[in-house]
Amino acid sequence: MTESKTLTGSSLLFEVLQEHGIQHVFGYPGGAIMPIYDALYDSDVKHFLCRHEQGAAFSAVGYARAAGTVGVCFATSGPGATNLITGLADALADSIPIVAITGQVPTAAMGSDAFQEIDIFGLSLACTKHSFQVTDINELEKVLYQAFEIALEGRHGPVLVDIPKDIQLAAVTQRFDKLSHLRNKVKLPLADISKALELLTHAKQPILYVGGGVGMANAIEEVRDFANKTGMPSVSTLKGLGAINPDNENYLGMLGMHGTKAANIAVQESDLLVVVGARFDDRVTGKLDEFAPNAKVIHFDIDTAEINKRRTADAAILGDLKGNLPLLTMPLEIKAWQEQLQQMKTDFAWRYDHPGDNIFAPAVLKTVSDLMPSNTCVTTDVGQHQMWAAQHMSFDDPSNFLTSGGMGTMGFGLPAAIGAQISRPHDTVIVVSGDGSIMMNIQELATIKRYQIPVKIVLIDNAKLGMVRQWQDLFFDGRLSETDLSDNPDFVMLSRAFDIKSRMINKKSEVQAAIEEMLDHDGPYLLQVKIDATENVWPLVPPNTANHKMMEGV
Amino acid sequence: MNPMTLNKYQLIIMADDKQVVLERILQVTRYRGFLINGMNAEVNTGNNVATITMTVSSERPISLLVDQINKLIDIKGVKVDNSDV
Ligand SMILES: Cc1ncc(C[n+]2csc(CCOP(=O)(O)OP(=O)(O)O)c2C)c(N)n1
Ligand SMILES: [Mg+2]
Repeated sequence: MTESKTLTGSSLLFEVLQEHGIQHVFGYPGGAIMPIYDALYDSDVKHFLCRHEQGAAFSAVGYARAAGTVGVCFATSGPGATNLITGLADALADSIPIVAITGQVPTAAMGSDAFQEIDIFGLSLACTKHSFQVTDINELEKVLYQAFEIALEGRHGPVLVDIPKDIQLAAVTQRFDKLSHLRNKVKLPLADISKALELLTHAKQPILYVGGGVGMANAIEEVRDFANKTGMPSVSTLKGLGAINPDNENYLGMLGMHGTKAANIAVQESDLLVVVGARFDDRVTGKLDEFAPNAKVIHFDIDTAEINKRRTADAAILGDLKGNLPLLTMPLEIKAWQEQLQQMKTDFAWRYDHPGDNIFAPAVLKTVSDLMPSNTCVTTDVGQHQMWAAQHMSFDDPSNFLTSGGMGTMGFGLPAAIGAQISRPHDTVIVVSGDGSIMMNIQELATIKRYQIPVKIVLIDNAKLGMVRQWQDLFFDGRLSETDLSDNPDFVMLSRAFDIKSRMINKKSEVQAAIEEMLDHDGPYLLQVKIDATENVWPLVPPNTANHKMMEGV
Repeated sequence: MNPMTLNKYQLIIMADDKQVVLERILQVTRYRGFLINGMNAEVNTGNNVATITMTVSSERPISLLVDQINKLIDIKGVKVDNSDV
């Protein structure tokens, strides 16, 4: 087509997507977004039809997290839009850059309780970083550019753009000048560098506390360099896993509610916390007043609002971690502290000996981790299996471990893995799921079938909502209310219905060969691993308790 | 929260004059644990600047709310003015 054709809002959308390098989108059509799906028909952008809009949102999240780019999803108005909300909330809590496009009823019908009309713009206020509703066709291009910019600037996050059907169909008469400045909100850099240097040189027992911000700031190299040159012992949040090289001798693993004993004790005894891209989340700190009670705090973050939100910083360094951390990178004299913690790390190392023939989930996940190819991307669902994955698998980059951290959303794992696999077609992608969580987005097996997405699913099956069952046993007198799933469907038969190769194992002796078979298989595979319903995740810091007072298994 | 025992603050907020901006400020203020005692808003002015003054009270430090309002994309600036509260 060479003759100038009128450019509609819908075709403009695909132009802008391509200008932002977006080759893949996830979505589900419907009445109010039909003009966009009609324009898709002629577009080079590849669309993946998910089987629920929540799946589309999570696939966009997985795509964004695995590849370090923006993920895009589409939904129609009303129920399509509301089905995105859990995914948006998840992306907000974990600071993931996605752009969600929703269709809306025509502007003339808006506000009339029209068919499939819901105020998604109003709903978005509490679950996005920012949102737009476009009511002028000539604003659309600028809004879309802003949406991508906002998703990625500063602390990343989800942005929603609601586009009424008549705007999708309208002819663009005015183009947006891309060279003109979009938005510029200059924040004063707050950097107590000299204070931080002073704290650092006086510290005898410092700990580097690493969060999800490190990967998003693209500062893994700088953080590893800091850890190596200072020799500072380090701990990681759930989302920070992979930022520190797991082989670093001074790395103590995850801290917090299900953190390692060494990590939690070290933090409690520290006299200085160097916090990089982390936010003192309640799952990390346990009882806040008793968290690292003797430690001063140097807090690096991109978000001003995180400084002093839950813990006062003695020195705050706002802005780009990549540029700021090298200013504090220097050798420290902390040999005694290092040796003390290395000893603790050895004394409290994970143990995989486990009596009987029944399968021990931590050992399964350790074996998967040892056997999986380098640069494998692992996603998880939420529950005990998630914590076992965090504890017993090793990652050399945060983009290789995708888990719903801030929101803890069951149903995340499968669609996130689909997105991850599409963004990284040459890497192995493994989902670690639970028998409860997998049912929350089980329809996405149809997406796997349709596109032959070769994800490997390790289903840790305890026939329970295990994490809730664990809490009922420990804190609610063993009153097991609504946590039994022993009548789950036959997962092997279910997989077969979606042309997915599958196998069930329930004995220790089968583990190694089954994992090898799964990893060697070219296409999608579901390995159902039956475990004992009574296994617990240890250690556990009970609610409202200091982190060193953890409960441990027998 | 007992409104009588809380700290009171007056905020002056400058924002891009978008229709949704008031809703955004109200949502953040409530969510972050601040009561609104009163407000005056000059919005939809036609000159792209909205000015909102609000009296709020909370047990929490006002910096917490200021930082969160500042984070809203449409906000140009927030000032705390305690001269007459
Ligand atoms: C959407 C959603 N609903 C409820 C919960 C509460 N919840 C947390 S863990 C869990 C149990 C998960 O069961 P399963 O997926 O089988 O994992 P397991 O703990 O057994 O490994 C539940 C219900 C949640 N996190 N997300
Ligand atoms: Mg389970």
